[in-house]
Amino acid sequence: MIDIEPMRFAWTRGGPDTLVLGRLHVTQGQTVFLQGPSGCGKSSFLGLLAGVLQPQHGRVTLLGQDWAALPLGQRDAFRADHVGVIFQQFNLLPYLSVLDNVTLPCRFSKLRRERCQAAGGPEASAQTWLKRMGLPEGLWARRADTLSVGQQQRVAAARALIGQPELVLADEPTSALDAALRHDFMDVLMQAARDAGSTLVCVSHDPQQAARFDLQWSLPELQQTGARA
Amino acid sequence: MISLLSIARHSAWNRRSTLVWVVVSLALATALLWTLERLRHDIRTSFAQSVSGVDLIVGARSSPVQLMLFSVFHIGSVPQSMSMDSVRALAQHRSVSWVVPLSLGDSHRGYPVLGTTTEYFQHFAYGDKQPLALQQGAVFAGNLDGLYEAVIGSEVARKMGYALGQSITLGHGMDDHGHGHSHGHNHSPASPASPSHDDKPFKVVGILAPTGTPVDRTVHVSLQALEALHLEWVAGAPLPGGQIPADQARKFNLEPQAVTAALVGLKTRAAVFNVQRFVNAFEAEALMGVMPGVALGELWAVLGLGENALLAVSALVALVSVVSLMAVVLAGLNERRRELAVLRAVGAGPRHVLGLLTLEGVWVTGSGVVLGVVLAQLGMALAAPWLQQGLGIRLQMSAPLPTQWALLAAVLLAGLLASLGPAWRAYRLSLADGLSPRV
Repeated sequence: MIDIEPMRFAWTRGGPDTLVLGRLHVTQGQTVFLQGPSGCGKSSFLGLLAGVLQPQHGRVTLLGQDWAALPLGQRDAFRADHVGVIFQQFNLLPYLSVLDNVTLPCRFSKLRRERCQAAGGPEASAQTWLKRMGLPEGLWARRADTLSVGQQQRVAAARALIGQPELVLADEPTSALDAALRHDFMDVLMQAARDAGSTLVCVSHDPQQAARFDLQWSLPELQQTGARA
Repeated sequence: MISLLSIARHSAWNRRSTLVWVVVSLALATALLWTLERLRHDIRTSFAQSVSGVDLIVGARSSPVQLMLFSVFHIGSVPQSMSMDSVRALAQHRSVSWVVPLSLGDSHRGYPVLGTTTEYFQHFAYGDKQPLALQQGAVFAGNLDGLYEAVIGSEVARKMGYALGQSITLGHGMDDHGHGHSHGHNHSPASPASPSHDDKPFKVVGILAPTGTPVDRTVHVSLQALEALHLEWVAGAPLPGGQIPADQARKFNLEPQAVTAALVGLKTRAAVFNVQRFVNAFEAEALMGVMPGVALGELWAVLGLGENALLAVSALVALVSVVSLMAVVLAGLNERRRELAVLRAVGAGPRHVLGLLTLEGVWVTGSGVVLGVVLAQLGMALAAPWLQQGLGIRLQMSAPLPTQWALLAAVLLAGLLASLGPAWRAYRLSLADGLSPRV
């Protein structure tokens, strides 16, 4: 479902290449662990997968669709339909309730809104996912910024999964959590992604988590391969 | 599921500590524009409603606006009087239906005293040709028995607490300190001794119903009464030693020789230009005939300059508020890059970001406008009695004027346009940042 043809990406046109990658492929439902030190281009890599950044050369394809071939407006719509994102932290709009935060993707994607119909609509579906992520019901109506960091990450995960997007991108989702909570959070996230049938690409520099993923990529190694190609 | 509009509202509310000042400044600007437009309209209405059914105001030749202001609104003065001979000649004109002479110059506790005939109460009208009505009592008799009788306006009665039978004395000049004045006798400015007519008290015999016009603030007496008051007066001051008792005055010839002005009603309005020509070409003395509507038009032309200047200043205030809205939202954008990145991560496109910021501007402007209107209405409700009393302007607490709505729409539109700037910047930022703002 993800296909990368040899590509180069630089933040500024004519500037130094941030990412040089060879051919890569991920099939639907796989989990990918992406490892690498800070500043090696992990965030750029996620940006490319999500279609918010475009390579200067080569192609990034999601579900058979070349991101660069889509006009700007459709690119946003395609992302809204098929990609869920979890950041390291500050995932939520602080001034909205937990429930409103979770249903946000349905606000922008008709497809994900429709997929919630089976569960009884976006609100009902949001409640299901919040329950799956183990967030106590008493917190659902609270303002998002009144929750602890760990609780906020669970809300972010529920939001990324609502409407079952084909791809979930997680950018160091556990790095703001205590070590004790990390394992627990990843358990719940991976199980939920599996249930949703979503491909999960998780960026982390915590090698302890690597073993449970289907694919383990090291970005510096990918870059070397790409540079040789 | 939450709407974009609702997100914008929550986001703006979340930053209320800074935005509130923008709202306040927008509210003040709106209140200013709203009030000014209402005042402008109501002042004109007040003036236009003050005289009706009068076809011409005739007086000694001077400025038409001056003559109208003095004879109808008792504001200012006129330099010359007109002779009663001219008034009688005017009444003889075949197109003239009635002539009511007016004599101004004295006052009672700051309220102007109008000397006239009983016909004044039949012919003078206000608003939409509404005649004057008595609330209590009757008009003055207009003969020697009823020489010292007065009919007072509703406000005089209410403010001074006068009832029928109240005895009042008149002061010489337009206020209690006897400044310069002009009535039928052509006195020069009064002596500093603040002369009064204490020796000849008047009895209130009638109280007029409220009209919302200068009539409410006027004390009406007969022309003969004014004559009697000034029998022993020369050049604006009493003759030394020559006090004529009130009763004795009746033995003198009390027919006035001159008056301030005359109100003229015609048999047909079509004759107005004819009669005006007759007046303007009058040979015995230099007179002029003024159509109240035309004189009002001239007045608006003069006032219009000031009004437009005020409106321009208010519009500038509104502009400054709108620019401050733009500045505050722009300044806050950097802190909101994270918020914008989250929105993009959940599928919001740049056009949503553009819409969100624009909606936010509309929310802020809208709140300011609503608050401004509430402030203005409250302010006007509080100021209305004072305006009515001090300036004789009746504020109408009726439905807003179309021009007021237009000004509101203009402020809202300006707010919308001003939020497009920050919205565009946010759009650019969200495109450049992608999913992770580099801050």
